[in-house]
Amino acid sequence: MKIEDRLSLLNYKTDKSFAHITVDQNICETCPDHFCTYACPAKCYTLIEDKLNFKYEDCVECGTCVVACSHGSVSWNNVKGAHGVKYKYG
Amino acid sequence: MSEFDVIVVGAGPAGSSAAIRLASKKMNVLLVEKSDPPGTKNVSGGVLWGHELDGVIPDWEKTAPVERYVKAKTVGFLTEESSINIDFRSRKFDENRSGYTVLRVKLDQWLAKKAVESGAMLVNGVTVDRLAMKDGKVVGVEQDGDTITADTVILSEGANPRVAIQSGIREPLKDHDVAIGVKEVIKLPEEKINERFNLRGKEGFAGEYVLGFLKGGVEAGGFLYTNKESLSLGAVISMKHLRANGNTRSFDIIEEFNSHPSIAPLIEGGKIDEYSAHMVQEGGYSSIPKLFGDGYMITGDAAGFSFSNGLVLQGMNYAIQSGITAADTFIDLKEKGNFSNSAMSLYQEKLQKTFVMQDMTNFKGIENVTWGNLTHQHLPGILENVMLEIFMENGMPKRHMYKILMDAMKKQNVSSSRMISESFKMIRRL
Amino acid sequence: MALKIVVLIKQVPDAEEIFIDPVKFTLNRSQARGIINPADENAIEAALKIKDETGAEITVLTMGPPAAETALIECMGRGVDKGILITDRVFAAADTWATSLTLAAAFNIMDDFDIIFAGESTTDSGTGHVGPGVAEFLGIDQVTYSVNTKVEGKNVIVERSLEDGIEVVNVPMPVLITTLIGSNMPRRSTLRMKIDALKKGITVMDHEKLKLPPEWVGIKGSPTVVGSLKIPDEKKREGKKYEVEEIPKLVDDLIEKGAIKIGDA
Repeated sequence: MKIEDRLSLLNYKTDKSFAHITVDQNICETCPDHFCTYACPAKCYTLIEDKLNFKYEDCVECGTCVVACSHGSVSWNNVKGAHGVKYKYG
Repeated sequence: MSEFDVIVVGAGPAGSSAAIRLASKKMNVLLVEKSDPPGTKNVSGGVLWGHELDGVIPDWEKTAPVERYVKAKTVGFLTEESSINIDFRSRKFDENRSGYTVLRVKLDQWLAKKAVESGAMLVNGVTVDRLAMKDGKVVGVEQDGDTITADTVILSEGANPRVAIQSGIREPLKDHDVAIGVKEVIKLPEEKINERFNLRGKEGFAGEYVLGFLKGGVEAGGFLYTNKESLSLGAVISMKHLRANGNTRSFDIIEEFNSHPSIAPLIEGGKIDEYSAHMVQEGGYSSIPKLFGDGYMITGDAAGFSFSNGLVLQGMNYAIQSGITAADTFIDLKEKGNFSNSAMSLYQEKLQKTFVMQDMTNFKGIENVTWGNLTHQHLPGILENVMLEIFMENGMPKRHMYKILMDAMKKQNVSSSRMISESFKMIRRL
Repeated sequence: MALKIVVLIKQVPDAEEIFIDPVKFTLNRSQARGIINPADENAIEAALKIKDETGAEITVLTMGPPAAETALIECMGRGVDKGILITDRVFAAADTWATSLTLAAAFNIMDDFDIIFAGESTTDSGTGHVGPGVAEFLGIDQVTYSVNTKVEGKNVIVERSLEDGIEVVNVPMPVLITTLIGSNMPRRSTLRMKIDALKKGITVMDHEKLKLPPEWVGIKGSPTVVGSLKIPDEKKREGKKYEVEEIPKLVDDLIEKGAIKIGDA
């Protein structure tokens, strides 16, 4: 099953007023590895024409990216108030 | 005067166990959980090992929402074409049940409900921003500009401890501390599961595998557990090795695992019903932060408490025990009303007497064995070659086991001196 | 005197967690957890905005099983002052008529009110009956499809989102206003207010308290009968492709098949 189909199985309560993860594009522009695109298990980080594209809406809040990014571009906060991913099994 | 005796941050196994223990001793406890309902952001493999819940819910084995008890356990080495498994199945597990497969959303919701029934106040759907500090002491928690005060805060926020990190009482996690866990829950009828895994009734299967077929130095372990009407399948991927490889995506590894020739038939016809991911604490002793300070204690995954030696992968039992120990520490300190750093060191002392710190200390450095290229790259290949030569009849004269082993090691570029020294290290650490 | 606002809400199964049984083709709700009906979230927010400006006192009222208490506590965590749960076995399986009547009866034993807010419709039945039904039983004015409200003196200025634009209505209180889904950004509950809500608790009203004749409530008081259920036939796609130059022909084909109409808009 493709990752996109896997993610479509999930129930998200997207917080439209708060992105719990932000990336610093200035840092990403000069990034030599873009390891985030390999590490993130929810494919939130992709390269489009060599530019990093990040979307928080698909995030499953595992926290992998903030460890994976060794360049300090990722700032990670907990989602606020019952937003974000809502598993049925876990 | 604080509003609460204790605020527990996070209603997982650690936090809820702490809250149950505290509330049942008439402490005024607030349990705060960001997910709504509790548990809906939590992921485990998951087998719940041990009997630590006895300490807070004596009848849990009858009432907890467990899926099956582990009757059959497998440890396997998978190469591209083969699998070499050690299967253990015992009638002893019928009388002395030790592992239960669980799904965390159900389990954690049940535990949180128990905390409420014990008298704790549960607020879920609200995220704590950070610890409230005054003169270098933790005095409560901050949320949306408000401070809620407590004599002690017990941090049980799990594998991605943002509150502790953002409050400056814990270092940010590094590659060495964690692995990436990816998981899928596959729906499969109960009869099919029983048939395929040779199980009856509530008997369950727990398998853990070394994914020796992965290329380019990627190291990962796989797991496959039976629930009542579903399978939990997943991979735990070393962050360090994934980075070194630089060319493999975490979510592709689960595909490689579930399509492996010895795994695919077990899940055939099943429907993936959920995909999830979570960090796994893998750093062992060296990843444990300072566990206490003025007005706080850290428990469970947030404290790096988990155990993996290649044969078992455990976390929830350490979480539950550390939660109970933190609660007991507070109850002792409450009498004197002293929650300072030096008084709080009682938590560490108490933990040393439990299996939590004893395991973490005794198995110091085990992560270097479970995560190492001998285990992940060479051993599966060596075993495969040995087995192939023993079992494949090709009309050639039979050779001695020793010769076969030596040749297999040679093929994997593992010298006998390295094998001996690594094996020695492994035995010593296991 | 502070304005008094009542918000009607319903806990509904999370539509994201309802799926179609692949064999029986029925809706499977067994895994769906309760959430506040999305349009009701906007009703709560509309009321809270008025509270921010005027210091109104808000009561949130719901009918449902005891588990609906969590929805009331969530509302109180956002700034609602009081939560009332109407719950009783005899109220079960009520249709929109009996539900409206039961909710309206609660107002007999509540304080006076100035504004009632309700979500325009629910995600689990979508009739949009209950808000207007309550207004009718109470004999007050109603304004539907609201996207914005502002209190001015003894009146409320309501913006209604209609197909052809926004209609602005100036209506005297008391009035019932139904809010459209997505008409505002619901705020989050806070830890402080949720703690206070749990300490304060909610008020429960049962059949005994409402004193309605038993034949007026629940399934007995529900005149609605489902005549039949029809699943429309699946239309097969024809899979035709048109080049850009052929667009006029595409339009002609669509008109011929009755898929589109040219009107006098």
